[in-house]
Order: sequence, then C-alpha cells, then structure tokens
Amino acid sequence: MTREFHPLVKRLLDGELTLGDLPLELRPEGEEALRLLAALDSTPVTLSPLLDARVMATVRRRAGSPATARESFRAGRAWRWISAPRDVEIRLRVRPWAVGALAAAAVLAALVLGRPSAPPARGAIAAFGPTRPSALVRFVLYAPGAHRVAIAGTFNQWNSDATLLAPAGATGVWTTTVTLAPGQHQYAFVVDGERWVPDPAAPAVDDGFGRRNSVVAIAAPGGRAL
Amino acid sequence: MGRAEPASDGAVVRAVLAGDVEQFAVLVRRYRDRYARYAAHMLGSADAAEDAVQDALIRAFDQLRQCREPDRFAGWFFLILRNRCFAERRRGSREARPLEEAQQVATSLDGPDGAVERTERRRALQRALLALTPEQREVFVLKHVEGLPYEEIAQRTGATVASLKMRMHRAYDRLRGELEEHR
Repeated sequence: MTREFHPLVKRLLDGELTLGDLPLELRPEGEEALRLLAALDSTPVTLSPLLDARVMATVRRRAGSPATARESFRAGRAWRWISAPRDVEIRLRVRPWAVGALAAAAVLAALVLGRPSAPPARGAIAAFGPTRPSALVRFVLYAPGAHRVAIAGTFNQWNSDATLLAPAGATGVWTTTVTLAPGQHQYAFVVDGERWVPDPAAPAVDDGFGRRNSVVAIAAPGGRAL
Repeated sequence: MGRAEPASDGAVVRAVLAGDVEQFAVLVRRYRDRYARYAAHMLGSADAAEDAVQDALIRAFDQLRQCREPDRFAGWFFLILRNRCFAERRRGSREARPLEEAQQVATSLDGPDGAVERTERRRALQRALLALTPEQREVFVLKHVEGLPYEEIAQRTGATVASLKMRMHRAYDRLRGELEEHR
C-alpha cells in the first residue's frame, strides 16, 4: 500500500515551507522527500544539429516549392489570380437586427450604382475590384462597454492592431469592413486589446488548442464552396 | 557599432505567413532546444524528445495560419509539443521499454566523481516518473525540472492552480510508492 507524504511535507516539496518549518517528528519524512527531488536530472537536453535541416526540408516541401524557385512560383500564382476570370460568392454571418440596416444599404447601393452608366450593383456589402477578385465583408460585434474592438485573422496575419472596428454611437455595436480574397478566412474579435471573442454569428472551428476561431468562407471561381 | 536586434517571434511568424518560408528557420533555431528537456522527461528519452520536437515544429508550420497571437508563438508552440507528448504517451508505443529509457535520460548526468548511488537514484526516479499519468508527470517536470511556479504552469496548460497542486500532490505520493516498491 502506498504511503502518502504528510500534507506539510508536500508543502515542503512545493517550496512553501522549509525543513525547519516542519515539526520535529516530520523532519525525517521531509528529508526523504527532499532526497527524492535532489535525484532529479535537470541537465539540459540538446538535440541533433541535423534536426534543423530535416525540419526545413519538410517545410520547403510542404510550402510547395523549393527555396530557389519560390519567388517565381509566387509570381506565377499571383498572375494567375489576377488574370483568371472567376465568380465570387460571399457568405456573411450577421446578427438578425443587422439585416434591416443591411437591406436599407442594399437599396441605397442599388439606387446609386444601378444607373445605366454605372456597373450593376452586386450587393450591399460587396464590391469587386477591377482586376483582382476580392470582396468587401462587413463584420459586426455587439460589445457594450468595450473601449476598443479589433478584428484579427488569417487575412491580416492575426495582427490585433491592424484592423479596428468603429463604434456605432453609444449602442455598443462595433463594425468594420474588410477586403477579403476568395477563400476561407479564420478570425476573432479582440476586445480591449486582450479578450479574444469568436464571432457569435459565425461558424467556428477549434484551433486545436482549446480555443475557437470564427470562419468566413468566400467561394472560389465557379461557385465551388471553399 | 550597433548590433541589429533579433526579429521578434511575431515579426518572423508574419514574414513566414507572407510567403518567406525560409524565415521559419529562425523559429526552428530559437525553439528546437528550449523545450527539449521537458519533452525528454515527458517521453522518457532524448531520442523520443527529438522526434516530438521535430514533429511539433513541422505541425507548427502547417498550422501557422491558426497562430492568432504571433507574438506569443512560444506558448503556442509549447501547446503543440505538449499535445504531441501526451498523444505519444497515451499511444503507449514506448511503454514497452521504460527502464531503457529511464537509464538513457538518467545517465546523461553521470559525473566523474563516480556517484554510482546518485546515478541509481536518478534512474529510479526517472523510472518512477514514467509510472505517473501524463498530467501528473507534466506538472512535476514543469515545476521541479523547469523551475516554473504554479501560476505560470497554469497559464501554459490552462489548468487551475488548485488542480495543478492536486495533481502534484498525487504525483508525490505515487513517486514515493514507486520508489519504495523498487527499492
């Protein structure tokens, strides 16, 4: 049967007490416990110098191109993205109360942009650049009492200072519009610089580490869902 | 003459995400050894630790887009490595040779003063550590090998200080039992 350490001895091991703090009758047990800790091997462990090369070889392979060809690969991909015709579909998650405001904006946009000399309107919150398919997506968060709200995601390298939301008066509603390329984007709101809040109106995925990232997906050319 | 400041983790992560894959080597150099000792104690051998660190670095690259606080890459990477270590122990693929592993870690401290007894105690303790649950072993290693206070362990692992202390106190009793059993 396992003999348990006395609670005071456990506090000794935790560093909360010293041996001298223990009653005399517990000191032998305390000394035994300290001998246990003294046997611990805390030598630094150094890994093989070849590990770096192995990791980077895999990383380059997974990046899709060797280092020497990376620039031309990226340039080619960028050119294909700019030059290829494509359709873009926008999926937007908004709170129900926001639908009315968005609908009004849609009507306004149609009136302004729908004149014969103007290109046809595609939606209240979407606009497409002349050469590169991208979409304007409006993000909304209700955060009463917040002093600062930002959005960070894969589209801005999770930079919580890059894209701030603006308050809509004193309603507690914060909004911003972001230009997004086709694809799936993960994001979260950052309230007052420290609290990460997933979008309650959007689907979310586990980031693998116990936290939730919201997701907005914009369809690829031909309407194929991403 | 001034010396250039090394790039912050956040700057390096952003450069990699922007397409400069070679910058990932900076993170590899920076973190390859930092948690190696933790991994070695969690898994029981330096070889297993090397596999785990290598896998964790590659997984970090694969999932870099999900690293939403690039300036806290260190903590994020630690969680990846931690998950890898827990998964490895739960698979039990290395359970078949704990003694060999225990000796491998423990002999790294063999000194010139011929401290055979001390080496034996180290081996026995390392063997006993492998008998703990991964959660118990982790809190023991982080506190007594890495020297972290409970508050920092709580930050890293997401557990509360109270639950960490409970795990630790169970670990103390289990270690005592294991060491007595094999004395």
